[in-house]
Amino acid sequence: MMISIILNEWKILVRNRSIVYVSLVFMLSIISVVWMGNLQSKNQSQAQIAAEKHIRAQWDNLEPMNPHRAAHYGVYVFKPISILNSLDDGVSSITGNVLKLEGHVQNEIVHSEASQSIAISRFGKLKPSTIMQYMVPLFLIFLSFGSISNDKETGRLKLIALQGVSLEKLILSKSLSIWLYGLILLIFSILLQFLLGSSSADFGIRIGFILISYGLYYFIVVCLSTYISASFKNNTSAISLLLATWIMWTIFLPKIWGNTVEKVHPLPSRQNFISQMKEDRSKGIDGHNPTDERRSKLKEEYLARYNVDSLSQLPINFDGIVMQADEEYGNQVWDKHFGNNYLIYQKQKRLYQLSGLLNPFSSLQNLSMGFCGSDMIHHLDFLKKAELYRRYLIKTLNDKHAHGGSKTGEWRWTVDNTFFRSVKTFKYQTMKIKDQIENYYIDILSLIVWVLFSGFLIRYKIKRDIII
Amino acid sequence: MSKYLDILKFESFHCINSPYKIISILLYAISILYGCQTGYDLFKKHNIEIKSIKSKNADFEKKMLVQYDELEQGLIEKPRRDPTIPYWAIWNTPSYALKSPSPMIVFSTGQVEQYGYYKKVTNWSTVFDNDLAEEIANPERLALGTLDFSFVLLFLTPILLIILLFNIGGLEKDNGFDKLIYLNDISKKSWLITRFSYYFLVLFTLICFLLIPYAVLSGVFTNELMSFFTLMLLIFLYIFLWVSIFYFINYWGKGSVDQAIKMISVWVALSIIMPGLFHQITSIKFSTNYMVDYLDVARDQRYEIFDMSTDTLQNELLESFPALKSSVYAQDTIINKGIINRSVSGLVNILNKKAAGKIEKESELKNNFVRSTLLLNPIMYFQNKINEVSEADYYAYKLYRENIQNSIDKKIELILRDTWNKEEVDKERYIEYLKEFKIKITGNI
Repeated sequence: MMISIILNEWKILVRNRSIVYVSLVFMLSIISVVWMGNLQSKNQSQAQIAAEKHIRAQWDNLEPMNPHRAAHYGVYVFKPISILNSLDDGVSSITGNVLKLEGHVQNEIVHSEASQSIAISRFGKLKPSTIMQYMVPLFLIFLSFGSISNDKETGRLKLIALQGVSLEKLILSKSLSIWLYGLILLIFSILLQFLLGSSSADFGIRIGFILISYGLYYFIVVCLSTYISASFKNNTSAISLLLATWIMWTIFLPKIWGNTVEKVHPLPSRQNFISQMKEDRSKGIDGHNPTDERRSKLKEEYLARYNVDSLSQLPINFDGIVMQADEEYGNQVWDKHFGNNYLIYQKQKRLYQLSGLLNPFSSLQNLSMGFCGSDMIHHLDFLKKAELYRRYLIKTLNDKHAHGGSKTGEWRWTVDNTFFRSVKTFKYQTMKIKDQIENYYIDILSLIVWVLFSGFLIRYKIKRDIII
Repeated sequence: MSKYLDILKFESFHCINSPYKIISILLYAISILYGCQTGYDLFKKHNIEIKSIKSKNADFEKKMLVQYDELEQGLIEKPRRDPTIPYWAIWNTPSYALKSPSPMIVFSTGQVEQYGYYKKVTNWSTVFDNDLAEEIANPERLALGTLDFSFVLLFLTPILLIILLFNIGGLEKDNGFDKLIYLNDISKKSWLITRFSYYFLVLFTLICFLLIPYAVLSGVFTNELMSFFTLMLLIFLYIFLWVSIFYFINYWGKGSVDQAIKMISVWVALSIIMPGLFHQITSIKFSTNYMVDYLDVARDQRYEIFDMSTDTLQNELLESFPALKSSVYAQDTIINKGIINRSVSGLVNILNKKAAGKIEKESELKNNFVRSTLLLNPIMYFQNKINEVSEADYYAYKLYRENIQNSIDKKIELILRDTWNKEEVDKERYIEYLKEFKIKITGNI
């Protein structure tokens, strides 16, 4: 019975010229938006690779240089575009793109795209995710509303119900037929993305998760829309409530909740953060200050270890040892302070995710960004990996300074670019989504709860007296 | 005339008796207050940070003055970074460039959260330094955007208008008595315009009424009166734009539902699709700038300068700063490596300025392109205009960068002048330096 109702609904949909035209417009929009998204990602990726190559070539061709000087010279890393940037660019245009990795200091990532021009939009670029998050659901709301209200107005719904068809099954079938329509648009968009994207297993898993997330969200939207349309006698009230809900979910609540989580779990101001780090750092070894107490202790330790009386007798360059000790202390300070910030970010994220219980749109947005690799979790992963690379780079340089053959105080001692070329390049590998799925449990759970809730409304809460 | 007054009177009855409309207006008013409060919190936060920087600077200045006293009295030895040498004295002259928030950011936080607003300036600084990073914030929250007043105005006002206007003329069509109305000696056009005017006036008055307390609180009336009036004009024009669009939809509409669907579709097109489309096109045309030109100067070209021989550097300095030719050191026949090394930042600064100029030019090209699309992207036109009057746009921060550059130039000028003239810095001269670098504030104090 349900299948025949669904088929019948589809026949009605196909016969309606407006819907055919709108569907064609959607298809064309999706094709052009996917094409633009891929073109933009390709351009940006090319620019990023070119910048990376340019900077690496400079490093490879360094003139003979003291390793510590090379640590100050530093390297730049450029944030690559996320794995599915062309689908949903999440926080990418807000966060910086260039990070200098050097000795003594841990810099911040800077030069975001958003800071390079006047304001262009407030909901981000027109990506397939924009169409799939804003336009398709809105269209599904109109379709669901139209489907029920037309049948109510013409008395068709009453007629079918009086023929003995279960009203719940009828509404559910109508919902499923509209949901399938949304799903086709979704599959079309995802398929295009899949054809243009990479062939890795991780990419496939991410695409799969995206498909499921959007599919669940569309189901919620359609079921709630048909339920509300069927539950109100007055069509104007029904469409008003539907649109009000859509506005609350997509426009109002995400911003309100987003601002609130920052108030509940506040981050330190940059000034305080820097001064606290500076203060903690000052308790360590000042690599450039020979009168520093801790430096003296380290000196005694090394003199005793090599059983010599003065630094000049050491077979190694003590300056390199001091620099590395300073770095290692600095790393602890970084771990403490940045770790604390990352913890606050995590708390904020969790609290924001909980809003999914009130607003499934938030869960969808989180999952979309997360599976596209463009959310905060992926951004922080990039920063952590860049910091790990910085530690490797500086340790390699300090070790060369200490054990490369120079003596303490020989600041003019240099190494040639054979050594610099031997330093590995920073290659960022996006996290495997299967290892990170626990970060998205709340969002997934919220969507499932909403699916069950909306299914429950249709199954048990349809008021026959309003329709019949 | 009384006919129109009657329509207005009945429209007010209709509005007051509609719980949907009253609740929507109330929610909208709460959103305005929330938005203004968000802006006001940011305004206060920036001011507190700026005050704290000023206070730290004042403490440091005092400490330095005591050090000069003790040095002059022979109570302490000269430290490693000798403050009697102009280079180190200027290095130790606190010089912050600050971007003070305009009180108008209460109404639009604009791009404020995309930029840093305080920077310690040294002779080695550049306008794209890492320490000019924006305030620490959750990137997902930044991507979602702030619910400030400008957001409420630009995005929620049309939604409120949809709720208030979608059944005007539509209800009559739904019930089939619209033709009856036009029999009452009034045209459809006049009848609709009068009813729309009612909501236009209610909305505009409500906004004015709610903005005034925040304007008083943040000092807009004393510091930014003209900007406030410009904002009011923009609000007026913006509401007028939407009311006009909705008027045409209702004029040709087929009923409440048809009008509501058309209105929300136009809203989605103008608020989300068009800005998003132009944003995407801009990104394709102008890829994210990875600042390679600047990085080259900050690293490679800077090191090339460091590797130059002292006499080459001296010649370069004399060529780049001709005023040095008449300095005391320029008359010497022996090269002083110390003086040259302390002057090198002058050469690096020239390269930095060149690179920064190129980057600003590229950004300007991008901005010109964005501006050319604003005719088809009216919401972002208004957004940028509001950001402009709130001094929260790209150009407000460009001006701030220019002020930073002026401070850097001043530092270098003084270092070169006093180093090459072999000046010794005492307390008096240090006080002169302090006066020169009295905190540079961009925007309102």
